[in-house]
Amino acid sequence: MPQKMWRKPLDTEKIKLPKAEIHIIPDLCKGCDFCIEFCPKKVLEKSDQLNKRGVYPPKGVDESKCALCGFCTAICPDFAIFTIEKKCKEGCEDGEKE
Amino acid sequence: MNIAGTVNCEEVAKFAATLPHVIIAKDNRYTCSDQGQELIKNDIKEYNINRVVVASCSPRLHEPTFRKACEEAGLNKYLFEMANIREHCSWVHLHEKEAATEKAKDLVRAAVAKATLLEPAIETEVPIIKKALVIGGGVAGIQAALDLADTGYIVYLVEKEPSIGGRMAQIDKTFPTMDCSICILAPKMSDLGHHPNIELLTNSEVQAVEGYIGNFKVKVLKKPRYVTNDCSACNDCSEVCPVTAPNEFDVGLATRKAIYTPFAQAVPSTYIVDCEICLNKEGVMACEKCIKACERQAIDFDMKPETLELEVGTIIVATGADVHDPSSLTNYGYTHYPNVITSLEFERLINAGGPSGGNLIRPSDMKIPEAVAFIQCVGSRSEKGNLYCSNVCCMNTIKDSLLIKEHWPDVKIYVFYVDVRAFGKGFEDLYRRAKEEGAVFIRGLPAEVVEDWKTHNLWLIGENTLQKELYKVNVDMVILSVGIEPCHDSNVIQRLFTLSRTSDGFFMEAHPKLRPVDTPTGGVFLAGCAESPKDIKDSVTQASAAAARASILMAQGKVTVEAITPEPITENCQLCGLCSRVCPYNAIVVDKEQKLVEVIEAACAGCGTCGAECQFEALHMRHFTNAQILAQIDALTEEDADKKIIAFCCNWCAYAGADFAGVSRMQYPPNVRIIRTMCSGRVSQKFVEHAFARGAGAVIVAGCHPGDCHYIDANYQTQKRVERLWKKMERLGVDKDRLQLLWASAAEGERVASKVREMQATLKKLILEEVEKSKTAFAGS
Repeated sequence: MPQKMWRKPLDTEKIKLPKAEIHIIPDLCKGCDFCIEFCPKKVLEKSDQLNKRGVYPPKGVDESKCALCGFCTAICPDFAIFTIEKKCKEGCEDGEKE
Repeated sequence: MNIAGTVNCEEVAKFAATLPHVIIAKDNRYTCSDQGQELIKNDIKEYNINRVVVASCSPRLHEPTFRKACEEAGLNKYLFEMANIREHCSWVHLHEKEAATEKAKDLVRAAVAKATLLEPAIETEVPIIKKALVIGGGVAGIQAALDLADTGYIVYLVEKEPSIGGRMAQIDKTFPTMDCSICILAPKMSDLGHHPNIELLTNSEVQAVEGYIGNFKVKVLKKPRYVTNDCSACNDCSEVCPVTAPNEFDVGLATRKAIYTPFAQAVPSTYIVDCEICLNKEGVMACEKCIKACERQAIDFDMKPETLELEVGTIIVATGADVHDPSSLTNYGYTHYPNVITSLEFERLINAGGPSGGNLIRPSDMKIPEAVAFIQCVGSRSEKGNLYCSNVCCMNTIKDSLLIKEHWPDVKIYVFYVDVRAFGKGFEDLYRRAKEEGAVFIRGLPAEVVEDWKTHNLWLIGENTLQKELYKVNVDMVILSVGIEPCHDSNVIQRLFTLSRTSDGFFMEAHPKLRPVDTPTGGVFLAGCAESPKDIKDSVTQASAAAARASILMAQGKVTVEAITPEPITENCQLCGLCSRVCPYNAIVVDKEQKLVEVIEAACAGCGTCGAECQFEALHMRHFTNAQILAQIDALTEEDADKKIIAFCCNWCAYAGADFAGVSRMQYPPNVRIIRTMCSGRVSQKFVEHAFARGAGAVIVAGCHPGDCHYIDANYQTQKRVERLWKKMERLGVDKDRLQLLWASAAEGERVASKVREMQATLKKLILEEVEKSKTAFAGS
């Protein structure tokens, strides 16, 4: 078999992918679940909080996995979800906001 | 004395002279030499001879030589026959001189019997397509493609990876000259990419191959890159891509994006999208970051896989090799200890373009190690991996130790070895230099590598076999000098081109000495590590040789097809259509309305399975006719038939396997008599029955392994026929152990030999009554 690739790549720390913040406006959601179903990184799942429209809107499970592709925003019929890039200060630790 | 050392040749010649139709029989040494051939030519003229039999080596080796001699003397070459008394007799019965002489007599008798019935034939010529296919874009494939293209032929190069370059592109420096590997390879890659005669098909795989020498039809699947040729390799797409994966080119030591180029010098430089990890799947466009970033609008997710149909005359297989995965050798702790790395990982680490920018660091803390150890023969020359020597690892380690000393002279280097094999030009010099620079060579591989869990340093414990004392050496990093293995998917290529592989798994050449780049399949050649482990120089040498061999064919422009195709005998034909049904090439057309049977000669490969299927003597299998084979059986069963095994062996696998047993001097009992057919599918039930009717003790039908048949699937017919025979034997009350079916490849001489040994038991318990029973049961066949 070909050489196994089992190590964490040595440059893992150096590769900086943009960090995402997922914003959901629960009361706009009508519960179609498109965003949950089509999220390519499977970052979303149903929350357990009923909204005003009587459905369970989505919630982010693991924000760090979000690739900021914006597909959820694009397919949401109700403008109820959007993602923005977390801006960090120069040299700040992950998640530390400007 | 190859033959005369075992076989009393004079006695065999005397015996041959007594055979019917024999005008003259001579005992001669080196008959294949010019003088020997002259002798044959003179005798043909002097005695007005119209058939020639030579009892010597395997027809697979020298039949063409003698056929040519006959032709030069004005005799049709199909009137020549060979008795194989070397590979099948003298070499395998070294210590049974009398029995070997008797066997040689039998084989000559059979050859003469067949020769009596030989018929002259004229070969048809087919044109050769002046285009070549090279499979694999490593240094061997690149060299072969460039040589062919420079000669003026159109070349298709198929590479499964996104870029050509192969293993050589991954290596930092080459031995013994310490050239930068990619620096000398990249210009060749670039030449290839721009060559007007070369069509480069990367990210592509060969799916199917049809046809024969000079006229192959090859289906190639070209997988989509999702990036068009407009790509300028600016890397803007990769910058914005949000998905990462370990880069295969860096053996997973560095990260790449979902849209990427494997390395800076890649050819083609066009980027590629890795669909496995890209967010866009099955037509759903989730992420458009790369598309938006690409100024040239070169990204196109609508690209579809394409199947190309190429027509080529010659094929060069340069599919390369894999490196051994050392994780099964648990005593070295690879994948458990972070600072145990493989030599391929080392190459990427020390390469300036690699993940550490050329700094020798150890993975656990990214620090430059103070002491390193190389362990040699990891996965080579051992029961725990592969039995063979991987050829390049010793010199690679010597080169690596010099590289370390060049940049970090204070790093201590220990090399634990079994033998250092520095056999090539300039190799010993390099070895001496490494020792002078202070690398310590210790004979005796460590029994175990143990990690200090606090520091991640490693203890190597073993025995120094020169000083006969135990050692315990502490180092910061261990480099496993891993061996070379056949590509994990080389069985696919094997099937596609009906090649053979040695027991090591590498492709087998047509002849290990004299045809080292040819394969048994006409028009298909080998280059590089696909054939055996070799260094860059040898790969390039072999690639140029393969290109030259392919050029010779294409320059001639035509090739003759052996006159071994069937001729329908219309008056016997019952138009049952069975022949057409078993033909693997659809080369027989039976028109029941027009009452016509036609053989399409260009499509027919001459396996003869149609002839075996025909129950009405309506197909005349040229050069392997029913009458000829029956005459061979008669001749071989003339004396002491009940003590003999008649073996029908296919030319490509079983017969070649028996030849291999001879070359390897594997000894087996001398009571087996081999009859050669092109395919085991030629062996009609009638032949086996006839052998039993003549009182043969046992019969072996031997062919290629199922799936490896040289004639697509003709050997499935063999299996069916033998199964039918077994049933019939059971019904007739004949011991069915007396008929054996054997699958043996050209490399499995031992399988042939052990089958013959195993059948001795069956013969021993064979009683006269049983022989008589089978004689009467099959009488008349």
